[in-house]
Amino acid sequence: MRINYGKFSEGILICIGLTVVGLVLQFTVGSVDWNNLAWPINLIILLTYILLLFILYLYRKRFHLVGRALHYTTVVPALASVVIMTLVMGLVKQAPAHSGSTDLLGLSKMTSFWPFVLIYGWNVTILGWAIIKHLCTFKWRKIPFLCNHLGLFIALTCAVLGSADMQRLTMFLHVGDTQWRGIDAEGRLKELPLAIELKNFTINEYPPQLQLINNETGKALPEENPEHLTLGKDFTHGNLSGWDIRSLKRIENAVPKISGDTIDYIESEETGATFAAFIKATSADGKQVRQGWVSCGSFLFPYQDLYLDTLQTLIMPDREPKRFVSEVIIYTQDGQKTGIAIEVNKPAKIEGWTIYQSGYDETKGKWSDFSIFELVSDPWLPAVYTGIGMMILGAIFTFVIPRKNKEENQ
Amino acid sequence: MSWDNLIYFAGVAVLFWAAGAWAAWKQKSMLASSATVAGLLVFGCFIVLMWISLQRPPLRTMGETRLWYSFFLPLAGLITYIRWKYKWILSFSLLLSVVFICINLLKPEIHNTTLMPALQSPWFAPHVIIYMFAYAMLGAAAVMSAHLLWFKKTRITTNDMSLCDNLVYVGTAFMTLGMLTGALWAKEAWGHYWSWDPKETWAAVTWFTYLIYIHARIGNPYRKKSTLYILLLAFLFLQVCWWGINYLPSAAGNSIHTYTLD
Repeated sequence: MRINYGKFSEGILICIGLTVVGLVLQFTVGSVDWNNLAWPINLIILLTYILLLFILYLYRKRFHLVGRALHYTTVVPALASVVIMTLVMGLVKQAPAHSGSTDLLGLSKMTSFWPFVLIYGWNVTILGWAIIKHLCTFKWRKIPFLCNHLGLFIALTCAVLGSADMQRLTMFLHVGDTQWRGIDAEGRLKELPLAIELKNFTINEYPPQLQLINNETGKALPEENPEHLTLGKDFTHGNLSGWDIRSLKRIENAVPKISGDTIDYIESEETGATFAAFIKATSADGKQVRQGWVSCGSFLFPYQDLYLDTLQTLIMPDREPKRFVSEVIIYTQDGQKTGIAIEVNKPAKIEGWTIYQSGYDETKGKWSDFSIFELVSDPWLPAVYTGIGMMILGAIFTFVIPRKNKEENQ
Repeated sequence: MSWDNLIYFAGVAVLFWAAGAWAAWKQKSMLASSATVAGLLVFGCFIVLMWISLQRPPLRTMGETRLWYSFFLPLAGLITYIRWKYKWILSFSLLLSVVFICINLLKPEIHNTTLMPALQSPWFAPHVIIYMFAYAMLGAAAVMSAHLLWFKKTRITTNDMSLCDNLVYVGTAFMTLGMLTGALWAKEAWGHYWSWDPKETWAAVTWFTYLIYIHARIGNPYRKKSTLYILLLAFLFLQVCWWGINYLPSAAGNSIHTYTLD
């Protein structure tokens, strides 16, 4: 392998220089604070930046940097620096959003780390000049190139500069309550141009399951490849590690009734009622027969397991939610009233806000009487989606349109 | 349909693919293509039946994504074969596919029928299937570059390089689509299209590394060996993104892309 580093030296030096400048900035002015770029500052910056790119491109004879930037010996080191910066980000555990970095250098908050920002900025700058160059010499066959490059340019610049205008609020709502304020990441209350009334909250769960666990370690058995039985509506019997498992009785909503030292489950609609099944388990050789109630419990009632032998116990793990739905009425300031069901992957969109189903009272499971929403407003989203749309088109073009072999042409 | 039936379906499919690979060596291109298609149909049947019996797309666990990978490798091989007539490509895609089938036979992972609400979306299937196809193409590119770097006795030709280029172009195009469909889905499910989740960060690393290869090749088509090393490095990053992050301390307990239940 022979690489002539000399050819790349200029491009490499630029990236090293940017990293050094970034480090100096990091230690003098501190991390990048994106919140300072709220509207309209971000728009002014974007327009100035694009104007500057054009001016520098027009005077490219005087600014040799532009011509050099468009050469692959500059592009490759620039992309390599992006890879290195992003690699560091992938290797260092990142601090949660809205909290500062947890290390001295700032590596745990890469998106606010100056060298990271400058290296990405340099790549976007090259991208910008490449786009201008191809726009100035437009031909139809450059459409795929422009889709790929301009799409990425739009998506990156608008996503980064628009991030300061994005609002993400959390709203806790009890059934029957109406709320028009949300809490932001710093815990401040913010008023919204709309109010939400929670009419009803429901959870559908997957059918309960049965599993064997090791009495000592509590781990699911067999340890390498745990087995389970799903107690669907039509379940009668099945097999777990040789044990024949029969369900003799099942109650969807049951509460335990303790009399003396025996536990019985009876049907009930009261809060906290949970699934219970009366199970008969027979060992593979038929010598051991155990029977009793098994239940996954709820926030009010404990688990109920069935002891099989000194090694293993039959248990019913917590049921998994299949779907959770909040039925709400949304009131807007102009007196509009909209009834809608919000669930995961099906947010509601109104007045520039998107309302997501985010959570519920997990300790209570299906008996939760409150719902948690996340409200997001991102005015720059249409611009970012325009960029993403162009990139999708570009990717399809790349795949569909055959490429010319450059080496053969030369 | 259960996981236990994989061995029968896979066995028949592999026989068809082997027949196709043999026919390709013998320059019987019609037979090669039809045998490979027959194998794909058999294997595809298994995936469809699994899908029906699980009542959700089989795309959640590692074992399930390997299933798609075993399917897409011969498909990618077939497309490459029809397009460029490399007689060795079908043998190669067969070999890789068999590796993944064997892993699934020897170490199937828990195949739970439940699917948490975040994954119940029309975006789910296209997002993962597009990615698996991209991985198959880029995997082929990585093996091709290893072949050229270490095993090929004669000089690397322009044709060798243009095969790599083609695989990378198609693979990267699909990877871009996978990433962007992921962004659109993330907006619907999580409220933001890009959150620098460890999986996303590594996807970006991988994507940019393939862009280095593409730009280095366009910049200087005579540069061969050094660019082939980039392909190997990119494929290494792809592995970290696909399953390696499960073992990375920086990503542990920190990724919303983890769906395995313990």
